[in-house]
Amino acid sequence: MKIIILGAGQVGSSLANNLASEANDITVVDTEPQRLQALQDRLDLRTVTGQASHPEVLLRAGAEDADMLIAVTNSDETNMVACQIAYSLFRTPTKIARVRALEYLMHPQLFNPESIPIDVLISPEQLVTDYIHRLIEYPGALQVLNFAEGKVQLVAVKAYYGGPLVGHELQTLRQHMPGVDTRVAAIYRRNRPIIPEGTTVIEADDEVFFIAAKKDIRAVMSELRRLEKPVRHVIIAGGGNIGKRLAAALENDYQVKLIDHNPARARAVSEELSRTIVLQGDAADAELLLAENIEETDVFCALTNDDEANILSSMLAKRLGARKVMTLINRAAYVDLVESGEIDVAISPQQATIGSLLTHVRRGDVAAVHSLRRGAAEAIEAVAHGDKQSSKVAGRAVEDIKLPHGTTIGAIVRGSDVLIAHHDTVIEAEDHVILFVVDKKRIPEVERLFQVGITFL
Amino acid sequence: MHIADLLTAERVACGDPSASKKRVLEQLSALIAGGQPALTPTDVFDSLLARERLGSTGLGHGVAIPHGRVKHGTVTVGAFIKLQQPIDFDAIDGEPVDLLFGLLVPEQSTQEHLQLLAQLAEMFSDAAFVAGLRAAGSAAELHALLSQWKPGP
Repeated sequence: MKIIILGAGQVGSSLANNLASEANDITVVDTEPQRLQALQDRLDLRTVTGQASHPEVLLRAGAEDADMLIAVTNSDETNMVACQIAYSLFRTPTKIARVRALEYLMHPQLFNPESIPIDVLISPEQLVTDYIHRLIEYPGALQVLNFAEGKVQLVAVKAYYGGPLVGHELQTLRQHMPGVDTRVAAIYRRNRPIIPEGTTVIEADDEVFFIAAKKDIRAVMSELRRLEKPVRHVIIAGGGNIGKRLAAALENDYQVKLIDHNPARARAVSEELSRTIVLQGDAADAELLLAENIEETDVFCALTNDDEANILSSMLAKRLGARKVMTLINRAAYVDLVESGEIDVAISPQQATIGSLLTHVRRGDVAAVHSLRRGAAEAIEAVAHGDKQSSKVAGRAVEDIKLPHGTTIGAIVRGSDVLIAHHDTVIEAEDHVILFVVDKKRIPEVERLFQVGITFL
Repeated sequence: MHIADLLTAERVACGDPSASKKRVLEQLSALIAGGQPALTPTDVFDSLLARERLGSTGLGHGVAIPHGRVKHGTVTVGAFIKLQQPIDFDAIDGEPVDLLFGLLVPEQSTQEHLQLLAQLAEMFSDAAFVAGLRAAGSAAELHALLSQWKPGP
């Protein structure tokens, strides 16, 4: 696929990184030649220096031939204008743009071919906020990912010694929970994937990915570890875009405190939020944390735009007694560094964003993609089309589908029904099929599987 | 319905310089919509793209049959392009494509249209015939070859 990325900032660069490794034809546009040089030094891609929304610059970037434009410059306005120009002058098939300002986002009717022709809006801040929100809803989960608008969730948990299922074969799950249907999609043991089978025995410390209908998630989690008590007290460090949104999303259900060191911002945030207690101060100040009962805090979230400050304040909060700490980290290298230590969950905005973009890069009709294990694995929601003749999936039972090695079908969403996949489940046209792919290298085979044959009309 | 009925000489292009899948689909859309007051190139393009997203229409051996359905359309229209240079089309065999037959059918597609598609697939699986298309030097020559083709017994 020919893809133009506008903006070589954090999101643009990490996108280029992910996509260039997948046999795509990438061109990156930025006003700063140094940034482009840094990308070109290590990746196989083309670069163009210039103002991303100018028609002449887009033309030089190959807009006449591009299948997709991804506008992720720092300016909402540049991103929107670039999509408009790509649509009017070049008929670019897929236009994706980052738009941050809620002032625009609160008018969704703006984004259609008649006014601002953006096919897909991405808001990394919103994605990260939703991601943290789901983790707080399910204490003990390492990851909670939505499929089919949240009807189905993929959850990662660490199995604990003492969990009812730990030490037992997977096939006993059904006896343990006769009323609950679930499927274990993958197990990571000492960071190596195991393809789960009925006879696989779950060990303590295994990282287990399971798929279930949203209503059954808690029940399944309780089989793998003792359930943690629900979250009540949350402290957020940083009142920026993400911190403020998260506080707003949480404040009606939890007791939320937000700390920001900037007096003007602390005041502005406190005026916007109704129930959150906003404090002006340093989140890495032990006295402040102790005064705010850090030892009674269930979740401490460090969400400033400074990685080092986030890591240090999280470590301090954990040491002072916070039950769980979650840390926003932009630098990929730091994510690896901290996750084995005192920080419970490291949140990478890039990792959260890449999935929503990959959804549109994947061939075939793909409704959702989540990139897992730092991009090594992927969970995909693909839509089956056609019939037994034109499709390799539709009209077939799960056991008759030739899945690539390391790939499991976890669940099927048919209309509003969630079906957990069993060997004899027959896939119908228009079913949304949720797959877990342990090895990213197998993705092209999965794409092929879901593409319809030539005679599909 | 026969393949000859789908094409006119104006809807055949020889030596098109398009260098990408996107551009050649645009060219095909323009050919298909030309002379059809009910169709706009944009509608045709969107329809071909939507089908291409579900799976490439690249048949293999350098041939593709991009096709689509269009709302309010009543006619079945074909167009043919022979490219100057083969392009990447994400085809089944991974080979670049230089011969493209575009087909647009009404929203209410029937068994007849499926047969038409099957006929096109059969036509392009005839290696000698395809070699003849590649050797042809003009749109008129291509049009004559395509119009004369008859399904085997």
